[in-house]
Amino acid sequence: MNDTTAGGDVRLVGISKTYGDSFTAVHPLDLTVPQGAFFALLGASGCGKTTTLRLIAGLEDPTTGSVFLGDRDVTGLPPYKRPVNTVFQSYALFPHLSIYENVAFGLRRRGIRSVKKQVGEMLDLVQLGDFASRRPHQLSGGQQQRVAVARALINHPRVLLLDEPLGALDLKLRRQMQLELQRIQTEVGITFVHVTHDQEEAMTMADTVAVMNGGRVEQLGAPAELYENPATTFVANFLGTSNLIAAEVTSVSGGEIAVTAANTRLRLPAARCATVPTAGGKLLVGIRPEKISLSYAGDTDDTDTDTDATATVSDGRNRITGTIAASSFLGVSTQYLIDTPVGPALEVYVQNIERDPRLTPGAPVTVHWSPDHTFGLDAAQDIGAGVATAAGSAGAAS
Amino acid sequence: MTAPAEAPPAPVPPSEPAPMAVRRPPLRRALIPYWLLLPGVLLLLVFFALPLVYQASTSVQTGSLEEGFTVTWHFRTYADALGEYGPQFLRSVLYAGTATALCLLLGYPLAYLIAFKAGRWRHLLLVLVIAPFFTSFLIRTLAWKTILADSGPVVETLGAIGFLDVTGWLGMTDGNRVLATPLAVVTGLTYNFLPFMILPLYTSLERIDPRLHEAAGDLYARPAVVFRRVTFPLSMPGVVSGTLLTFIPASGDYVNAELLGSTDTKMVGNVIQSQFLRVLDYPTAAALSFLLMAIVLIIVTVYIRRAGTEDLV
Repeated sequence: MNDTTAGGDVRLVGISKTYGDSFTAVHPLDLTVPQGAFFALLGASGCGKTTTLRLIAGLEDPTTGSVFLGDRDVTGLPPYKRPVNTVFQSYALFPHLSIYENVAFGLRRRGIRSVKKQVGEMLDLVQLGDFASRRPHQLSGGQQQRVAVARALINHPRVLLLDEPLGALDLKLRRQMQLELQRIQTEVGITFVHVTHDQEEAMTMADTVAVMNGGRVEQLGAPAELYENPATTFVANFLGTSNLIAAEVTSVSGGEIAVTAANTRLRLPAARCATVPTAGGKLLVGIRPEKISLSYAGDTDDTDTDTDATATVSDGRNRITGTIAASSFLGVSTQYLIDTPVGPALEVYVQNIERDPRLTPGAPVTVHWSPDHTFGLDAAQDIGAGVATAAGSAGAAS
Repeated sequence: MTAPAEAPPAPVPPSEPAPMAVRRPPLRRALIPYWLLLPGVLLLLVFFALPLVYQASTSVQTGSLEEGFTVTWHFRTYADALGEYGPQFLRSVLYAGTATALCLLLGYPLAYLIAFKAGRWRHLLLVLVIAPFFTSFLIRTLAWKTILADSGPVVETLGAIGFLDVTGWLGMTDGNRVLATPLAVVTGLTYNFLPFMILPLYTSLERIDPRLHEAAGDLYARPAVVFRRVTFPLSMPGVVSGTLLTFIPASGDYVNAELLGSTDTKMVGNVIQSQFLRVLDYPTAAALSFLLMAIVLIIVTVYIRRAGTEDLV
């Protein structure tokens, strides 16, 4: 299992999984996870991410396509012959065995006699050296989770598969385990494929994220890349929050696109457009809530510039007027919902540096942002894709 | 425990100070478990503890039906009974043990299949397992008389494939007969107690998280190893309770030996039955009952210790 012939790349080639003759969990999919990557499969429940993981583990047989580990085709291999190990969602620790024996399980099955040193080192790595003789049910959720990681890692798999490993933990513990898993991954250098529905978790931990929806990969890239340049409305809405505005393209010139929405002129860089816009065509204009500034309506006139920098709107910024529909104070920031001509409930996050007491529900305001922060999406998509699922998973996560 | 709102409406006038209202219901509530226990305790007392004491006193009495029995602390009855009916005790343990082993061998694959592979047929199969109970125990046992009849198709086939040579060599059959041999008694016991083996096995197998099988497979265990290292150890509670539920009643059974066996296959149960109902030697019958109880208790205790599942049963 420790042969070093090829790298730990995981390659899925045209892989798909259909149950019965109606339900397709995973549509034909090509995916390459480079060796040493911390790769996250992100999506709402039922999007096919866990099925994809199980296809790699060999726990499901693909309907079509092949799974490669390095150069080796492992499609036909049963799980017990694959050099991959899994951390299961509910940990699946053996309740009748001690922690020590749980961790030693894989080594013993491979006929390794002297496991003591390795098990000891592995338990130290996950900081459970004192718990070797306990039974799984005597451990807390976080400790069980670490045992599950140790039990898988001790086999030095080419790839470690993690199926929602932090799903059962409370928020604080989850944060702690995220850091722990990152530390372990850096330490052992094994390819991690991490399945999660928690977009924050995916972005914090992974160096590459594949956003899945309806059995397909919507977009794949570095977390910042996905966040700043979503390619689809699903990604824009599922990964964080986006304000999407349906607009009409008025001109395309010199790397800049001008659009109008409800008689408001907006501009964005052509480079940040996921589609090729043509004048007269439709476009979805997107802006992240934290990139928007909020000013009291009168302050945007040139006369009143004495308060602070954000109150002044320099020329060249996209601006929309509206009224505050609701606000909620979150400590670090305040979240506003603004009713505007281009659409209701535009979301704006404002850092609580200096709070303007006039920004209360009902107040007339101008929202404005740099055109550089604006992205464009193909208008043929469902503008609300991923909104409900993101909200649902956020609820499930908290 | 201290939620006055949920307590039954106490006859407390609203003007009464609150602490009283809070204090009273807890006491009443604390007594509830005991009230719930009462019927069961009474039942056990009247129908188990008292007869046991009565039986114990009978076993140390002497006398006859005509003169009446009196307690004379005649413990010799025990030694005499054990000495006289040693073979029957041995047969009881041997037949019940063999039947239990056969039940385990037959029942485990079936329970495994129902628990893991049956899918939507699971409930139907479970009903089928207990379906024989809808027929009288006696009828079912008598039916085996027909099945195992001399020169019947079953016995002919068993003879033809050489099975009877093997069992004959083991001393379980005699020539070309099955009926009235130990094999017939063991077959009847196995058949009658099989559901008592399958149901606890099924219950404990069904409780095993299928992900444990996946995890074991993921950790390089071949299917056979998954069974030996994960499935079987985790089903031990079912194995233990199944074997106990089979062995204990089987060792005291006399119907199978009576209907399917011969005088050479009598078990302790048959002796107790005849001492109580035909010979009317009550002290011997009572002593035999206590001896059987003691033997079964010793075997069971040793077995549970060996199985190492005191905390699982």
